[in-house]
Amino acid sequence: MMKPEEILKLIAAARGTAICVPTMTTGPGWRKIAPDDLSVGCVGFMGGASAMGLGLALGAPDRRVIVFDGDGSLLMQLGSLATIAGAAPRNFTHLLFKNGVYHTSGSQETPGGQGVDFAAMAKAAGYRATYTISALDDFKKRLPTLLTEDGPIMAQLMTGLAESTPMTAGPSTPFHQQVAEVRARVTGAR
Amino acid sequence: MPESIPSSLIIDAFKEVFQTERRGAKRQDPLGWIISVPDTHQKSVLAALDKERSLRVLTCSTEDDANAVAAGLYMTGEPVILMIQHAGLYASVNTIRGISMDGKVPIFYMIGLLSREKDKDPKDSRHSMVRFAEPLLDVFSIPHARMEGPDDVHLIPEYYRKSRERKGPAAVLVGLETA
Repeated sequence: MMKPEEILKLIAAARGTAICVPTMTTGPGWRKIAPDDLSVGCVGFMGGASAMGLGLALGAPDRRVIVFDGDGSLLMQLGSLATIAGAAPRNFTHLLFKNGVYHTSGSQETPGGQGVDFAAMAKAAGYRATYTISALDDFKKRLPTLLTEDGPIMAQLMTGLAESTPMTAGPSTPFHQQVAEVRARVTGAR
Repeated sequence: MPESIPSSLIIDAFKEVFQTERRGAKRQDPLGWIISVPDTHQKSVLAALDKERSLRVLTCSTEDDANAVAAGLYMTGEPVILMIQHAGLYASVNTIRGISMDGKVPIFYMIGLLSREKDKDPKDSRHSMVRFAEPLLDVFSIPHARMEGPDDVHLIPEYYRKSRERKGPAAVLVGLETA
């Protein structure tokens, strides 16, 4: 099992000008690792990270958009796989942090648990490429491709639990401030 | 008595909204985005949009998707209109609250009142899905108005502007099926 924070550190070093969309348990880790990053968290509408990332990718085709999704989160808006595949944004990378549980509420198993294959679902929905990665070395090797290959692509990342969750970490920047900051930076850069 | 509104009038209003929003912007293509979870009540508009090259229509699996996509597009400066049905409003209440209200993302909604009876005010409809739409918008303090005929098309730019001014949701309800 990979540690989510180790994955996030590698992404932070390689992301370039990408816009990142963390959600749930990747949120606190990402804030610590990349505090000034161009990112907007999915806060207050669990499940919406992938579709929000799609909107960003369609509106900013010159940038990569990387969604750090969770398995429990994606299950709440599973239809987004088809929405994304239908829109087919080439600059869209969907990283699915799969730990098989709802970490924030006490690690209850997600429906289907580890048996659910999100990479297969994404491929069947119409993603251009999908991967399942279990080892950090493998992730490190594939990362340049994950950030440049034509999307939409998904990498299902087999991870353990994050060190902190939105419930145990301190308060984060309110969602509306994150929205305003990203909008100012993305539209100002044009 | 309410009347059906021709799709051409609604699409012209969309274009007017987007042209105003795009004024001075480098990016003009597409002129704007219609994010849709197909609504039977507005099917003539959706059919006409198929032929519109300047507007990009994105069909979403759910209204939750539609709201989140709209938020992403807003952050990149893209103008967006959401076309949904009253049932979709009910289905996506938490996402509207989280994104448009708490997130202060201006989103303008066109909401079809499918099954609304021509001779009845929606509050007197025998269909709960028709009766509850306006009261629900009131509960969330979402400004709204109902288009009851061609003379009401001006509500589209008006409520679009309202969503921008208040940085939140605003909605126009489509009283009768569009023509």
